[in-house]
Amino acid sequence: MSAATGGRPKAFGGFFSVAWAVAGRQVYKYFTNPAFLAPALFPLFFFVAFAGGLTSVGDVPGFDYAAGYIAFQFVWALLQAVAMGGAFTGFSIASDFENGFARRLMLAASDRRGIILGYTLASIVRVTVTGTLVTVLAILTGMPISGGYDLFGLIGLALLVNVAATLFGAGIAMLMRTGQAGPVIRTPIFLVLFLAPVFVPLNLLEGWIQTVARLNPFTTILDAARGFLAGAPTGVLPAYAIAFALVAVFALWALYGLRRAEKAGS
Amino acid sequence: MARDRGIEVEGLVREFKKGPRAVDGINLRVEPGEIYGFLGPNGAGKSTTVLMLTTLLPPTSGIARVAGYNVATEGPEVRASIGAALQEAALDPFLTGREHLNLQAALHGIVRKERKKRGDELLERVGLEEAADRRVRGYSGGMKRRLDLALALVHRPQILFLDEPTTGLDPQSRSALWTEVGRLANEEEVTVFLTTQYLEEADVLADRVGIIDRGRIVAEGTPEELKAEIGRPSVEATPVNRSERDAVAKVFSRFGEEMSSRPDTVAVRLDSGAGGLADVVRALDGEGLKVSNLRLDEPSLDDVFLEKTGRSLEGEHDDDADEARA
Repeated sequence: MSAATGGRPKAFGGFFSVAWAVAGRQVYKYFTNPAFLAPALFPLFFFVAFAGGLTSVGDVPGFDYAAGYIAFQFVWALLQAVAMGGAFTGFSIASDFENGFARRLMLAASDRRGIILGYTLASIVRVTVTGTLVTVLAILTGMPISGGYDLFGLIGLALLVNVAATLFGAGIAMLMRTGQAGPVIRTPIFLVLFLAPVFVPLNLLEGWIQTVARLNPFTTILDAARGFLAGAPTGVLPAYAIAFALVAVFALWALYGLRRAEKAGS
Repeated sequence: MARDRGIEVEGLVREFKKGPRAVDGINLRVEPGEIYGFLGPNGAGKSTTVLMLTTLLPPTSGIARVAGYNVATEGPEVRASIGAALQEAALDPFLTGREHLNLQAALHGIVRKERKKRGDELLERVGLEEAADRRVRGYSGGMKRRLDLALALVHRPQILFLDEPTTGLDPQSRSALWTEVGRLANEEEVTVFLTTQYLEEADVLADRVGIIDRGRIVAEGTPEELKAEIGRPSVEATPVNRSERDAVAKVFSRFGEEMSSRPDTVAVRLDSGAGGLADVVRALDGEGLKVSNLRLDEPSLDDVFLEKTGRSLEGEHDDDADEARA
């Protein structure tokens, strides 16, 4: 038997082999290239700017969040960090398609859906680092931890938000397959994040912004996440239902993007 | 034919929106262990064909079986059987050569303990041991090509697709790559599907050649068969005295059909084959005509291309270069 055909590999890359390989490359690049860490500074900036500059908002009559303003802002900064972490992963995917590296992945992967899972796993690792940085900063600046085991509820929601944002970004990236996908991924995520009770609770918003925030499904997730941190969970089931629904919808969206990339000749 | 290591294509078509048919109903068959040269100018449909055969682009119609698997419906099985080094080496500038090999092996599901061994073996084979731990962004074009070839071989494929593997390489790197490709086919029985726009490459490497032009295969056979179709050799001479060009052409016309040539030369396709060269020399001598250069040319693949398409592939190269410069 020939050297080429003999001793064939023991396994051909299935779904999980592909996912681990893709995730491994992304994580390795993230930790070995300081430039890739730069986006982690954005949520820190948001947290410092909002929590530091607007602390007196916590004294406004009607502001009834028990854990205080720093905690109130921390939850939004955390969810913003994980959502934008997903967006940045979308940028990476678009970049891989633009420079041709995605072709290598498409050519080597027996089950190409594993590529999506790989990027998603890497995104989770990435936001774990970012989320930890934001949390450490929040604790250093005086945020009380009053949620106990409820904090796992907050972490769970954060992970689901990250996965949903990553899958949304992956779908866009694979549909467009150029760096121009960046703004298309970033803008809707930014709008959803900011058209929510960012600075004050929903009951203190007025006019059209209150109407929009009330209709924004992210508001339900944000309120539940704040409830977990304060040790007073509220609206947990609707929040998780929305988060899982977003993951499911955007998983289908990402698969649609993958199929389109395959048809276009990635 | 051992279906598990060959390529069979029937009526393969690829249409792009608002564009012509990039591939227009091609049929071909590549036998196991064969090096098949797919020759044609830029835009002829070579790369589109490779993309379809490697499952990176679905065909519009037609059937293609690679290693016995249908590229349209059995993509994972096809990808398990093939390796491919495409036109532009798809490498990550932030990873080293060794890391690329590790990643590629992981993508193919090769177990961790085998990855390093296989990576070292391939790095040595393509002569990249010393550069193995350098990031790819510092590699030369030739080094990237060699790494790309190594990556294509990680999982010991039965069939190897090489899309213009030597474009842009210096002669030394080109020669080294030819040697390696020849070795893969001869010693390891890998079937090689090689696209190229270099006539010499197809002539030197390929067991059989398919010439594609405007999405259609216009000729197919061994290089010798194709050149034999053209048949007769030609002779070209440069008169010492330019004013004697017409006189030399008149002598040449006795021995065959005049061919197009540079303004200062005369060329004729010899009716009597290579043996007619001596008669040509005697005739020139008899007329007292002196030539500074007399050359006998056997038919080349470019002659085949010219015969089949009415255009010269060498000329296409020049046009491409001009376009690139513009």
